[in-house]
Amino acid sequence: MGDFFNKIIELFTTPQYIEAMLHGFLLTLQIAFFAIIIGLIIGTVVALVDTAKASKWLMLPKLICKVYTTIIRGTPMALQLFIMFFVIFAIKGFPQIIIAILAFGFNSGAYVAEVVRSGIQSVDPGQKEAGLALGLKNITIFRKIIAPQAIKNIIPALGNEIITVIKETAIVSMVGLYDLNMAAKDIGSGQNMASYIVPMFVAALFYLAVVYLITFVIKRVEKRLRKSDLRAV
Amino acid sequence: MENKIITIKDLKKEFGKNKVLRGIDFALDPGETVVVLGPSGSGKSTFLRCINRMEEPTAGEIYFKDTLITDKNIQKMRQKIGMVFQHFNLIANLNVMDNLIMAPVTLKLMSEEKAEQKAKDLLKHIGLSNKAEAYPASLSGGQKQRIAIIRAMMMDPEVLLFDEPTSALDPEAIGDVLSLIREVDKLGMTIMIVTHEMGFAREIASRIVFIDEGKILEEGTSETFFTHPKTPRVKEFLEKVL
Repeated sequence: MGDFFNKIIELFTTPQYIEAMLHGFLLTLQIAFFAIIIGLIIGTVVALVDTAKASKWLMLPKLICKVYTTIIRGTPMALQLFIMFFVIFAIKGFPQIIIAILAFGFNSGAYVAEVVRSGIQSVDPGQKEAGLALGLKNITIFRKIIAPQAIKNIIPALGNEIITVIKETAIVSMVGLYDLNMAAKDIGSGQNMASYIVPMFVAALFYLAVVYLITFVIKRVEKRLRKSDLRAV
Repeated sequence: MENKIITIKDLKKEFGKNKVLRGIDFALDPGETVVVLGPSGSGKSTFLRCINRMEEPTAGEIYFKDTLITDKNIQKMRQKIGMVFQHFNLIANLNVMDNLIMAPVTLKLMSEEKAEQKAKDLLKHIGLSNKAEAYPASLSGGQKQRIAIIRAMMMDPEVLLFDEPTSALDPEAIGDVLSLIREVDKLGMTIMIVTHEMGFAREIASRIVFIDEGKILEEGTSETFFTHPKTPRVKEFLEKVL
């Protein structure tokens, strides 16, 4: 046990180790952050197309969305990452971090789309009817009635998706990116600490801390949203 | 068609193979109070919901005054055709005041101040002034439905459609909602109601329309309908419900 604590101290006091760790952590956060943004944008657009009333103009977009979500959700993330790196962006000198962001963003978009779609569809149809019966336009009904209520349904599941993306970014180490996961492996290797347990334990704590923070924020947001619609006088 | 508020010609509605409305011709005079009766599944709610196109008719024509209701003008028409739903459908993310003023203000039918004043007056009238800031989730069914009725009144409609307005309420709340409908009726509002409250129907209706299997089987004044029904089907229905 004493050895374990000595190793922890060694990791945190050796600039080379702790800097590598933080570098990796930063890369993980960068990839996750931008991937989540892209995922939210793609996911929202796909969900809107998906839930829009069928029409001539939307036939092709709806088909594209369907194909997109089916492929993304039906194949492994690791394979999608490989395809992005070694097939689609097999361009010398193209920034690897951007490829990773795009890979995770495209992946997350399909899941966000499902979350947003089910959030929109779980709004009571009577809410839309109320707006229609008052003579409001569809766009007004969506903005003022459907969207605010859908967001309430979406937030918890979206929190899950954000957490999933953060953790899933660990597989970028498979294509050689130096993220938190890779940093832990590198520091634990023979040329460095020659022991995996401590760096991996610390990496786990880093992941946990972020996930915990996000869970906390999501819970707070959820609570606030719920309060507003139960508020009496 | 002259002077009619609503004119319906050969209205048909099918849900897949299920023919719910099989050709309805109907006209509504200003100031009339028409109660639509019929066994469950007869298509009476569908009939009412087709008038403001909550349901898309399969065939037939619906006129508001002289204007054929089409895809293009439906939003304008709906501003003049108020509707009250069985499940109230107050907008959950808006408080009572915003429920009342949102449509007239968004549609620029009224200034915000004017709308708020009108909403306050109406709330005061139904004794719910203290609920202006409350959200629908905190209200009882009877309160919700009365607010839904004044929400429809905010638009100054020329006709009000009530789709089973008391079916989701407890007996005490039913009384409150029916009194409010009576008051609206006394103002001279043109009204169509689908209801299962026979006593109320008999009292308020200037005309009863009986729908069975997607067609108007019988219609007449409240008195004739309830005391001298013409068809055996209506006789049987009345024996069961009275």
